[in-house]
Amino acid sequence: MAKPAARIGAIQFALAIGILAVLTRAAELQIVETERWAREAARQRTERVVLPARRGTLYDRNGVPLAITQEFYHVGIAPNELEDIRSAFVLLVRNLGVPAASLNREFQTRKRWIYLHGPFNATQVQPLRDIRGVHLTGEFQRFYPSRDLARPIIGSLSPDRPVGGAGLEAALDSFLTGRPGEAVLLKDRAGRVYDSPNRKTRDPVAGNDVVLTLDAELQEIAERGLDDAIAQMKAEGGDVVFLDPNSGELLALASRQAASGGAPSASTFTDPFEPGSTAKLFTAAALLMRGRVQPTDAVSAENGVWLMPTTSTGVTRKIEDAHAQKGSLTLARAVQVSSNIAMAKFSLRLRPEEQFETLRDFGFGTPTGAEFPGESRGILALPDRWQPNYTRASLAMGYELGVTPVQLAAAYAAIANDGVLLTPTLVREIRDPSGKPVYQHRPEPVRRVVTPEVAAKLREFLREAAGEGGTGERAQLTNYTVLGKTGTAQRYVNGHYVKTEHTASFAAIFPADHPQLVVIVKIDNPRGNYYGGLTAAPVTRAMLQQALASRRVAIDRGLLATRDSAAPEAPRPVETPAGAPPVVVSLPYRAARDSTPPRPVPEVAGRSIREAALALHRRGFRVSLRGLGRVVNTIPAAGEVAPAGSPVVVIAQ
Amino acid sequence: MTGSRPVRHPGELRWETRLLGVVTLVLLAFGIAATYGAASLVTVKGQNVGLGFAVRQLSGAVLGGILLLWASRQDYYRWRQWAWPLLILTIVFLVIPLLPFTRSISPVLNGARRWVDLGPINFQPSELARLVVVIWCAMLASKKGAQVREFKKGVLPFLVVLGVVSLLILLEPNLSMATLVALLGGLVLFTSGARIGHFILLGGAAVLLVFHQIKDAQYRLARVLTFLNPGEATTAGGFQIYQSLVGIGSGGLFGTGFGEGQQKLGYLPYAYSDFLFSTIGEEWGFVGVLVVVSLFALFCWLGFRIARTAADPFGQYLAVGLTATIGLTAFMHMAVSLGLMPTTGLTLPFMSYGRSSQVISLLGTGILINIGRLRGKPRTPVRSQRGAAGAGK
Repeated sequence: MAKPAARIGAIQFALAIGILAVLTRAAELQIVETERWAREAARQRTERVVLPARRGTLYDRNGVPLAITQEFYHVGIAPNELEDIRSAFVLLVRNLGVPAASLNREFQTRKRWIYLHGPFNATQVQPLRDIRGVHLTGEFQRFYPSRDLARPIIGSLSPDRPVGGAGLEAALDSFLTGRPGEAVLLKDRAGRVYDSPNRKTRDPVAGNDVVLTLDAELQEIAERGLDDAIAQMKAEGGDVVFLDPNSGELLALASRQAASGGAPSASTFTDPFEPGSTAKLFTAAALLMRGRVQPTDAVSAENGVWLMPTTSTGVTRKIEDAHAQKGSLTLARAVQVSSNIAMAKFSLRLRPEEQFETLRDFGFGTPTGAEFPGESRGILALPDRWQPNYTRASLAMGYELGVTPVQLAAAYAAIANDGVLLTPTLVREIRDPSGKPVYQHRPEPVRRVVTPEVAAKLREFLREAAGEGGTGERAQLTNYTVLGKTGTAQRYVNGHYVKTEHTASFAAIFPADHPQLVVIVKIDNPRGNYYGGLTAAPVTRAMLQQALASRRVAIDRGLLATRDSAAPEAPRPVETPAGAPPVVVSLPYRAARDSTPPRPVPEVAGRSIREAALALHRRGFRVSLRGLGRVVNTIPAAGEVAPAGSPVVVIAQ
Repeated sequence: MTGSRPVRHPGELRWETRLLGVVTLVLLAFGIAATYGAASLVTVKGQNVGLGFAVRQLSGAVLGGILLLWASRQDYYRWRQWAWPLLILTIVFLVIPLLPFTRSISPVLNGARRWVDLGPINFQPSELARLVVVIWCAMLASKKGAQVREFKKGVLPFLVVLGVVSLLILLEPNLSMATLVALLGGLVLFTSGARIGHFILLGGAAVLLVFHQIKDAQYRLARVLTFLNPGEATTAGGFQIYQSLVGIGSGGLFGTGFGEGQQKLGYLPYAYSDFLFSTIGEEWGFVGVLVVVSLFALFCWLGFRIARTAADPFGQYLAVGLTATIGLTAFMHMAVSLGLMPTTGLTLPFMSYGRSSQVISLLGTGILINIGRLRGKPRTPVRSQRGAAGAGK
């Protein structure tokens, strides 16, 4: 019976065909199409995740952390993955500090996933790391250890994303953010992700740490001093600025604003105010620079009331002095007693362009260029919009001029710094995560505003103004000399000046020789004695006393001791009429800037006119505009070297 | 006459059975390793079951191995005597899951009742049916001899019994196993010399029946539609097949490495049983596929060699049936994994996780080895007494 053998052969043959089909198909899938399937496998099983980078820390100048990022954890528990529920339960309760009863209730509900939001810190979750079924999700959180200290300046993160939303957190975001890493994670069909360290494709790079110029101790003194002053004077608000005139570093910035319910704000940068008499010094500077006033020149003080003719047709403007003066006043004396009448009279010796130029050179009407976002440029109208007589007098008295406290501080710092305006700054140093400095602040001269001689003379004016018989004498300390100028401006409310509301201010330079601090104190609408000399000046003194009492505030006490002891004997050449050397002001005015070397013209093509003008201005060039819109080119071209103060033609379209 | 081939040397025909044993052992070992790898990331109640699966598979291998050794020394004619009792026992076991009051010993798992839990023994009656049907068919075919060419007296009795057994399995429901059992019976019948015409007729009827069954069950229809439209492979019905292809395809030539396959992360269901071949393809690559296919081919070649040289028709039919059980199951499992066939729930013999299948396969192999060992030995009248009438032709 050969038949079964044949049939077995047939079965074998069929099976052989089957085997061949299987092998062919396997070869097709695994050799021919393997790349396609591998790609598909990778697509469905892997997930790219972003590994967040730790945000850099913000320190004060002495290393006190002001904003730090810490990692926090949320804990998820999958009860059915737990090997030993009892011991896991005990560990969770003991380490996380969650109430045993509530956690027990969670377990009783037989949920598949128990979530404990926390947040828990690294120490708390450390013992839980190796428990199967306990899943940790880390998250970075921004933390401000000094709470409200300088918070409006430091700013905050966006509520929804870990990027800077306001203040320095926003301005320095690109430095602080770091570079997020990336990892490819394995996920199962349920979307659960498996740790797979070898699949990390890029490590996150932590952000840079930024050392600010702020001095936490001085900031504390400023904020506390301001709060006390506002409470004591029943004022609406106020601002305090501490600035190092030698470096342009802002040491403390305190603000309280009525608009925000007395809460801290960043108004030192954002809110211009009419400074009143504290701005008298700048018109004085313009007069001295151009030699329009000799030390012996004097004008009548008109016994406190003067009707100034403002037009040729006989329209007059009534100008009053708070402290009526008899006889005549020199410029120095006008500043000392803060005579509006004398300053108005002197201001008429300047052409509007000249007065404007000096004010603008002091930085008014342009942002200072500090790192703070949303900085106000202040208010300074162009001369062609002036009512010539009226505005000149107004500016001389500190009206029709809007300055931010920081602008005012920077301008006073220029006087303290022998006439060179520095860009105020908030950033002292930027360090990469390894601690290597990537940026260190050096004083950034914007331009020479006045000659050293004029600056010295202006400081003498301030010495008188804050000395005996001056309006600011209440700022004086027992052992050290404070230079300063008071200001009391009527507030402009609803279209007119209100005689009962004032902005009191005091601008101080400390100490008199080799100044180390410029202090601006501004009090909004103090009740009772509203004069700057009676409000802001004593507040300045109190704060300076505290700063001196503090061991940590960065005041060079060695320098204080040696210099100030010699101060009383210092000659006062400005006030001695006979032997006084003439003020060295060469005309035309531009030539006076030769002390700063020629510098390259910055690249501004593609920028807006505003940005270009700011950039050129900060480099010490004058700007001449051709056209509006985006900057196309400059003459001289970018990169060419031109002397400081020379005009740069900006061609825009 | 196959049964009367002269034997030149007692040891001459022993190499086939020995090699068969070796192939079986290699497949078993490979299977335990592959199961471990495939189940290594499967967790149940927080426990990794990979090792547990491997240990259980090993215990199944030990039990099956003992049965194999026992069966290889047990004259296969005993199975001929036990054929009817075994068939009745199998039918009883197949009925248990269908009864409404037996849920305690036959619970619903994945929408089907395929298991019978008898305290210490928990097994799938359909796996037993796979072996018993082959034994019974071989018995009856050898008894009927040339009568199988007739329809009424030859094929019909087979049809009745196969129909009943298949129907019972189908009702579990388990269409793939029912089909397999019917196919295996048909193969034995085919070997014994039944008419081709009958097969064509029956095949046509079976196709209609199966198609009807598929139309009835939504999941089966979905599987078949997926098979027919591979373009829509990512839809729910095609997910398993598609994931199987992704696994095998991404394995490439050499595979991702033992235990490194990732399709088992919830993408490929039953990576350790119904889709073990896909896991092998992923982790061992084309090389692994080639090895596994070669081992099964070798097994079948040896099995059919034994069948050709078996001492008598019963041994011959039985050997064909037992070999085909392994070969056909393996082929269908692989074909499903490769998308050559609609999805079924068949395991890979010797290798897939599942002790019922493993033990039955090993027992069958033991019987096959015994058939091989007893070749060339003249059947004593006592032993062949009952089968002599059919086998003597």
